[in-house]
Amino acid sequence: MPQVSMIPHPCRVAAATAQSSRDVHYVVEVPARSFAPEPGQFVMISLPGIGEAPFSLTALPGEGAPPGHFELLIRRVGRLTNLLTRVRSGGVLYVRGPYGRRVDWEPFEGANLIMLAGGLGLAPLRAFVWRALARRREFRRIDVLVGARSPDELLFKGDLDTWSARTDDVHVRLTVDAAREGWTGRIGVTSSLLEGIKVDAHDTYAFLCGPPVMYRDCLRRLLAMGLYENHLWLTLERRMKCGIGLCGNCQLSGHYLCQEGPLLSYREVRHLREAV
Amino acid sequence: MDGEIFRLPRERLGALVERLARDYRVLGPVRRGDSVGWVDIRPDTVLALDYRTTMLPPRQFFAPQREVLFRFRRGADGSFGFEEPPSQEPLALLGVHGCDLTGLRVLRSFHESSCRDRVVPNRLDRAFILGLACWTPCLDESFCKDMGSLENESPAALYAWDLGDVLLLKVLTQRGREILEVLAPAAATAEELAQLRRRTRVRHETFPSHLRFAPEKLAAALEAAQDDILWEANAERCLSCGRCNLVCPTCTCFDVCDQATLDGSTGARLRTWTGCQVPGFSKIAGGHDFRPTRTQQLRYRIFRKGKYMPERYGMVGCTGCGRCIHHCPTDISIRDIFRQVGA
Repeated sequence: MPQVSMIPHPCRVAAATAQSSRDVHYVVEVPARSFAPEPGQFVMISLPGIGEAPFSLTALPGEGAPPGHFELLIRRVGRLTNLLTRVRSGGVLYVRGPYGRRVDWEPFEGANLIMLAGGLGLAPLRAFVWRALARRREFRRIDVLVGARSPDELLFKGDLDTWSARTDDVHVRLTVDAAREGWTGRIGVTSSLLEGIKVDAHDTYAFLCGPPVMYRDCLRRLLAMGLYENHLWLTLERRMKCGIGLCGNCQLSGHYLCQEGPLLSYREVRHLREAV
Repeated sequence: MDGEIFRLPRERLGALVERLARDYRVLGPVRRGDSVGWVDIRPDTVLALDYRTTMLPPRQFFAPQREVLFRFRRGADGSFGFEEPPSQEPLALLGVHGCDLTGLRVLRSFHESSCRDRVVPNRLDRAFILGLACWTPCLDESFCKDMGSLENESPAALYAWDLGDVLLLKVLTQRGREILEVLAPAAATAEELAQLRRRTRVRHETFPSHLRFAPEKLAAALEAAQDDILWEANAERCLSCGRCNLVCPTCTCFDVCDQATLDGSTGARLRTWTGCQVPGFSKIAGGHDFRPTRTQQLRYRIFRKGKYMPERYGMVGCTGCGRCIHHCPTDISIRDIFRQVGA
């Protein structure tokens, strides 16, 4: 077997747009090699001399992102992301991957889909929504349920508007934890968006991404709605350092989430400590 | 010749080193002050073959504490060029105790089952290991006999018993045979073989037993003790210093970081050792920590060694070397924990 190279590939940034005061949305040209990611996979992004970190793909080539491009959302939280978010259109990001498990979508065909995102969780979940919309005829009802701390922190507002405007049984509901005057939408935690949603419990899949507390609340509600444990898909994001099952930073019990995840069904992790 | 036992007069050790030096970078246990570590040796170097456990295990040579993954250089057009370092020269490691031989086996099983990366297995494949039998326990804290390490000879190419004036050597691999042939050693005498049998028997009695169960039962024992108060009882005095990780022959976790010149034009991406007991190891985006308490972190380390590794890689991740106990500033003992959960 070959040695796995840790050398990244330079990828040109086609567009860099501020999503909020601290989030930048990148449209990036795919590397000059085979690059066929699946929703839930991630890439390692770096700047030589500065550092490297894992980022979820927020849109895949031809599914939300233009053909030949993928998309990222980078939040400015530390030294590396401070410098990464200074890269502008025409600049270069250094990319390894995609890494992570490739989940087969065939079992989801003909089912209802519930997409649940809290806060920054919309970044990875957006790739799932765009995948579902790209293959719209394969699914029945699609619910996109998105929560944020405040209206200002709602990400991808353009996409949320686009999805909301659809009339083909795609339902978008938003909520915020707190809002000032002017917000006419819902106030409450993300899981509260599940109230009143009636679906066929045998034939509905849910995809979740958000902070740990959101998982627990949403799983409780989804299980109470009668959904199967292996129909509940979680993205368990960890701070991967290598992406190839070696560095140990993403270990959950005996499992390396960079390879066996980050996308896992609740049935696969329910017995594991420190999962959600 | 395989399995046969030869005698090498002690003064011929230098000839063995000389032969190895033709093909390998040769490292042996050498005393420096009151400690012993593996260092580059020459034929005339005095080896401390009676050494007690080194502080750092042999994994330091196969998955080094600090290693360049690649170097980068910014070209005239602003784009970066990358270059991987040349592969490491083959290593000969002399005088490796049973616990550390076991550690190298665990290192291999981890790398071969966990990922497609061949860097470390390739280094192990190309290495020449001279195993060395222990006559007395290295540390009060060691429990190598319980963990099946005391008598382990794999992956050594040659295995040695130190009888004082003479070393008895067993050939374990084809490579071991090739190296030894040059020295044209005589077969061990009947008297030496009798002495070896006698000392091996005495050794087995000299090494204490600490656990009252086979290591294969550890996984189930730990599973049953998941919510034990034992974890808190130990974690209360843990300082999160991470020494246990650094001295462990089977820890493999690393961090990745970049180093560059001030103008950022050249530099390297490095991997450096880290561990699950080090603060921040389990921190993730948004400031969340999925294993925030010392109790969780300590339990995780013990579970990884005693449950996750055997379940995943087929080998218990503890060799019984006792380093993590010996070097723990607050005397947290994996041996006691194993003993208590397995009782």
